[in-house]
Amino acid sequence: MMAPRRSSESELHAFVDGELTADERAEVEAALASSPQALELVRDVREINDALRQRYAGRLSEPLPPALHKPLARLGRRPVAPFATLARWAAAAAVVMAAGAAGYGARGLLAETRRSEAAFVTTALGAHTVYVPEVRHPVEVKADEAHLVRWLAKRVGADVRAPALGSLGWRLMGGRLLPDQGLPAAQFMYEDASGRRLTLYVRKETGLNNTSFRFHEKDGFGAFYWIDRPLAYALSGRLSRDELMNLANVVYAQLEAQEAGKASGGQAQ
Amino acid sequence: MTTRREAVAAEIPRLRRYARALLGDDGEADDLIQDTLERALARLPQWRDGDNPRKWLFSILHNLHVDGLRRKSRRPPHVGLESLGVDQSSPSADGASGRDLDHALQLLSGEQRQVVLLVGLEGLSYAETAEVLDIPVGTVMSRLARGRERLRTLMDYEGGDRNGRASLRRVK
Repeated sequence: MMAPRRSSESELHAFVDGELTADERAEVEAALASSPQALELVRDVREINDALRQRYAGRLSEPLPPALHKPLARLGRRPVAPFATLARWAAAAAVVMAAGAAGYGARGLLAETRRSEAAFVTTALGAHTVYVPEVRHPVEVKADEAHLVRWLAKRVGADVRAPALGSLGWRLMGGRLLPDQGLPAAQFMYEDASGRRLTLYVRKETGLNNTSFRFHEKDGFGAFYWIDRPLAYALSGRLSRDELMNLANVVYAQLEAQEAGKASGGQAQ
Repeated sequence: MTTRREAVAAEIPRLRRYARALLGDDGEADDLIQDTLERALARLPQWRDGDNPRKWLFSILHNLHVDGLRRKSRRPPHVGLESLGVDQSSPSADGASGRDLDHALQLLSGEQRQVVLLVGLEGLSYAETAEVLDIPVGTVMSRLARGRERLRTLMDYEGGDRNGRASLRRVK
């Protein structure tokens, strides 16, 4: 090459990094043919980049550690956070007062809560296992019918939304309305390219306190569930706990972001 | 604001990947990410529309990292692997196993490591990298060349048994 050695080395890096114009690329390609040393450098740099991506690829798909859940949630919830916090304190205070008044009655209250949460996730997982194997009628209303979400939101009586999981490879198939102890519940079903199915089950919940993610597993099916009043959610599938957790994180972040957008008069659809 | 928040949330896995490779330690990396998110959150209103979220977040992360280094420099020096008796003398057969790569990266200067990772791992352009690190593009290029040259030596890419390595390449 005509250029002095120093700039030529930088040029080789720029070649690998896609920083050159078409003309410059052609020049470098021609130079590579006659310089084994230059070719070696280009190969090595590519190999280093491949090795880096391979080494740290896990970070892109693994679930977020618990320490990051808080900022992630605030990322969606910020405009309403002070009120939510206040409400939570009030609820906590009410529990403490009730516990103080009723003595060890608090233990009963807690057990009651656990039972209700268990009932919720059991129903959600049950609905999952019933409808997921359906070949011809997996959903009641297909995703391409615009009124799916509007209809379910109206029937459930709350702002129910179907998160977009397309970027993770999950296509929304549609949804259905279900009875849950006499209350209407919504189920959204997703499918990935390999035919695996995932459901998000949503029901109104005003009796129980908000919870963080909880995991429930039965017969190879797993479900992450959480309560974010006025709604309770369960994300179910025959997936590894990690994969399900990752999806739950994304669903949660999206719902929170939409909620916050709505609260601040944003443009959530 | 909604779309901004979603954009920030979507970048978290990449930020974590970079922080882990940069710091070589899971706990420290996630501490840095937590701080980055907190600061991003506080500055969300200042984010101009059209700003690239990735560049913006990596800049925040970088500044926090530099602040952290300044604070740390007053503490006792970092205990290196060598002083813990970790054997560095025998690179594994393929020279590219994960631990070797982790280790080799940590032997680069911090400045070299940043550019090698931002360009090679995260795929940022030279111009974006220059903005994130707040240095001229020419500096990005020289640090990149030096950093990669060091990695080649450390990973035994240069001057090693070329025939042996070539066959390994084919096996891979």
